[in-house]
Amino acid sequence: MSDWEPKITAFLCNWCSYGAADLAGVSRLQYPPYFRVIRVPCSARISPKFILSAFRHGADGVWVSG
Amino acid sequence: MSEHVKGSVLVVGGGIAGMQSALDLADSGYYVYLLEQSSAIGGAMAQLDKTFPTNDCAM
Amino acid sequence: MSGKPGNFSAEILKRPRFVDVEKCIACGACAEKCPKKVDDAYNQNLIKRKAIYVEYPQAVPLKYAIDKDHCIFFEKGKCRACEKFCPSKAINFDDKEEHLNLKVGAVILAPGFRAYNPAGDDTFKYGRLPNVVTSMEFERILSATGPSQGHIRRPSDQKSPKKIAWLQCVGSRDVHRAAHGYCSSVCCMYAVKEAVIAKEHAGGDLDCAIFYMDMRSHGKDFERYYNDAKEKHGIRFIRSRVPTIEPVDDTGDLILPHVNEAGEVEEERFDMVVLSVGMETTPEVARLARNLDIDLTEGRFCRTDTFHPVRSSRPGVFVCGAFQGTKDIPQSVIEASSAAAEAEVLLSAARNTETRRKKEILERREGNKTPRIGVFVCHCGINIGGVVDVPAVRDYAATLPFVEFVTDNLFTCSTDTQDTISRVIREKALNRIVVAACTPKTHEPLFQETLVSAGLNRYVFEMTNIRNQDSWVHKDAPDKATEKAKDLVRMAVAKAALMSPLEEAEVDVNRRAVVVGGGVSGMAASKALSGQGYQVTLVEREATLGGQALNLFRTWRGEDIQENLAAMVKSVESDPLIDVCLNTELGQVEGFVGNFKTTLTCKGQEHVVDHGVTILATGAKEFKPEEYLYGKDPRVVTHLELDRKFMNHDQGLKSVKAAVFIQCVGSREPQRPYCSRVCCTHAIESALYLKKINPDAEIFVLNREIRTYGEREYLYREARLAGIVFIRFSLETKPKVFVDGADLKVEVPDAALGHSVGIKADLLALATAIVPYKDEKLARFFKVPMNEDGFFVEAHAKLGPSEFASDGVFLCGMAHYPKPIDEALAQGQAAASRAVTLLSREKIRVSGTVAYVNPAVCSSCGVCVEVCPYSAPSFIEKGPFSGKAEINPVLCKGCGLCVSSCRSGALNLKGFEEGQIMAMINEV
Repeated sequence: MSDWEPKITAFLCNWCSYGAADLAGVSRLQYPPYFRVIRVPCSARISPKFILSAFRHGADGVWVSG
Repeated sequence: MSEHVKGSVLVVGGGIAGMQSALDLADSGYYVYLLEQSSAIGGAMAQLDKTFPTNDCAM
Repeated sequence: MSGKPGNFSAEILKRPRFVDVEKCIACGACAEKCPKKVDDAYNQNLIKRKAIYVEYPQAVPLKYAIDKDHCIFFEKGKCRACEKFCPSKAINFDDKEEHLNLKVGAVILAPGFRAYNPAGDDTFKYGRLPNVVTSMEFERILSATGPSQGHIRRPSDQKSPKKIAWLQCVGSRDVHRAAHGYCSSVCCMYAVKEAVIAKEHAGGDLDCAIFYMDMRSHGKDFERYYNDAKEKHGIRFIRSRVPTIEPVDDTGDLILPHVNEAGEVEEERFDMVVLSVGMETTPEVARLARNLDIDLTEGRFCRTDTFHPVRSSRPGVFVCGAFQGTKDIPQSVIEASSAAAEAEVLLSAARNTETRRKKEILERREGNKTPRIGVFVCHCGINIGGVVDVPAVRDYAATLPFVEFVTDNLFTCSTDTQDTISRVIREKALNRIVVAACTPKTHEPLFQETLVSAGLNRYVFEMTNIRNQDSWVHKDAPDKATEKAKDLVRMAVAKAALMSPLEEAEVDVNRRAVVVGGGVSGMAASKALSGQGYQVTLVEREATLGGQALNLFRTWRGEDIQENLAAMVKSVESDPLIDVCLNTELGQVEGFVGNFKTTLTCKGQEHVVDHGVTILATGAKEFKPEEYLYGKDPRVVTHLELDRKFMNHDQGLKSVKAAVFIQCVGSREPQRPYCSRVCCTHAIESALYLKKINPDAEIFVLNREIRTYGEREYLYREARLAGIVFIRFSLETKPKVFVDGADLKVEVPDAALGHSVGIKADLLALATAIVPYKDEKLARFFKVPMNEDGFFVEAHAKLGPSEFASDGVFLCGMAHYPKPIDEALAQGQAAASRAVTLLSREKIRVSGTVAYVNPAVCSSCGVCVEVCPYSAPSFIEKGPFSGKAEINPVLCKGCGLCVSSCRSGALNLKGFEEGQIMAMINEV
């Protein structure tokens, strides 16, 4: 389990969480390199289809924040 | 008189009030000089954690 | 500063930054290497920063600066570590002070405030007891970017406190020592907020107690917040002034003795104490005011008057924010726009004379052809290249479908790289561009401009973030970071391949404004617009202009309202650009921002007005109560009725032996849980006036709390000194009013005395609530929301107080929230200033990122129409697709809510198409 590397698809709102992820970088916070970010104009843009599709393409987790 | 009127405004202070004045003026066709004594704009609001009543992040 | 309104000359000293902002890429290498630690003022000196620094991580501009007073090089002549490690050669130790001479038409002063420093005050032992902190320090302690990443720790031992006390009015409402007699207006609410957030951060077992004199929650939605703090969050509110703070040996804990409401002395132990410090004008600002020859008030704020709330005593110099008087964020934002409006009126002859226009470059029709993608991968000095294998990412990009060109750059954002990108686009006939670099939030516009300069559409661009969200956060895993960068580039390329050029919708703007409501705010808005040459149709439902101000006697500053109001009405009526429509209401409204078509109905006659913007200034009215014998006994009057007596020089007032004022009649009650904001000040001012014309009268003000915010507090003090008696009651112990024989009697339990006080009153003035008209028709016409109390809901409680979320519709005056004349007037001007940002353009051009409908698939369910906060979707009325949805691109903000809500898949969002996002998901 310890060397398991999950694949996480992250949908981040341009105006808040995407900016927060930028800020984490500015602050040099370190975190595991397992998620890939898709920037969306607003979390309202997220349709359930995206989440299902992410799982279908092998995501171990989906992260939506906004 | 009118030909002597300048189309620019000096705004002293880059806090929330100064920034809003500057934005309104610039968006309405005036050149703005925004003066701030520190090295970044934002003022006191940038130091706040959250704002009520919505508890939004002040930043 | 010299010169006159319209043409000033100002001498400015620009201090050196020692960092070239053009070159600095804010990588932070300099600060990392800088050996000198300095107290971090942004974090209230709770932690250290370096001598080369950015003010805070999200600072604008995000460029470093050297603190000359602490830099080792400036102190000792050597070091220059920052210079050595700066990858972009941005350090410039030779940077010099500059003296600038600016020629400007007007000046707006927004210098702000500083927090009161309680160090000189023995009561609080601030500076000696480490766990006594100021509220500004506590803000930083709460903040995720603060010294403890938002975990609440007390300074002495870094333990998480279990009990925190807030002490209100530190430096405010206090005429002793260096403190100030005025109320700082904001401390009650920020203390409540800090307590609520602290409990949220710390979980359930944190006990928060606020020691206060009067809780001043007089802003919009503040009373609800206060009630929730009490009832839902369990914050304790203790009405008592704490005379001293005593340490408990060396535990770090603190004892607060205080007198409770029953008059007994109690002691309570806390882990930490927060001092709710007030606002004050700095000596530097006071000096600046003297230099500029500007009058200050007793509290050292810029002197203004009620009918010119943002004009300083010097013509052409305007003021806003905390320097105009203590105030919160929304009021500062309102005044800021109001000051802008005043400057715009003064300088309207010179509009657009000093601004510059961008050169337009013709777009080539490349976008719809087969994708030819160019990928630019940035090293960002060593910021990306030091972790991610940039050449490997570049080579990988070259293998991706449709990629025709790849390269890597030391700094993709540099000016010479822009020239290269522009040249390559033309040479290689590229029609989609991907940049893998830092964050699009700061750099997307720059690259889009480069695309435009090369004749491409700005929307055939995708940026992916391999710095902030990759190299910076995976420093210790370079292989994984490189892998992630490749994935991100692959995702970006997949999206880019599906992109097409987007059009930005344009609409012409009709230059006329319709202002609904002819009270002070509506008139102020109209004058601010006509003063800039715009035509205004001012609609008033009554037969006269003036609104509620017609019923008012004097302002809290003692100014005569009718005299000033009459002058204002006259100037509006005689203004050739203002078309005043009395006895008129709105019958029908069509259209949207830039192009409204409104039908006005006046005495059965209809006429249609075309206009570009609308300002709602519909006001509010006095609540007519059913309690306290109102309407049953002639001695019981409302405040407006009392003002009428004052205006009529009612002789009866001179024979009044005892007068009683009852506050919060209909306000702060369960059915109307908001504070009407103006009544406390109005009661005190009326009481003082009554005392003046009838010095022998005994006057009682029965109140739940006195809310004389800002410099209005002086009136409260004056009233107490004049012998006016203030008796407090609560919602449970409301006064009883009854007739005993011929006498009108008021009985109220007095907690301080421990028994009821009976008063035989000749006059009973009720501070009745201010209630909105709840005009649902108007709300429907302009698709604007109302809150549960019936006041209109602005775009943003803090940052957009004078506008609606729907474009082209603005808000001011009491339709927003109860407010006094100066604030209503300022907001009228503010609404006008916001409106002029639209009216001053010939065309409104909107983003290309908007939703669109495929009508063939639309099922006409109406979900999109319902969910959109901006009223962009509507049903098509005519033609083959009648009944189907359509999106007005001018109103659409591109959030995508309608798209993800559409059950039939008829909607899509340009720039974030279903297919594009799916392609990215595929490539994760």
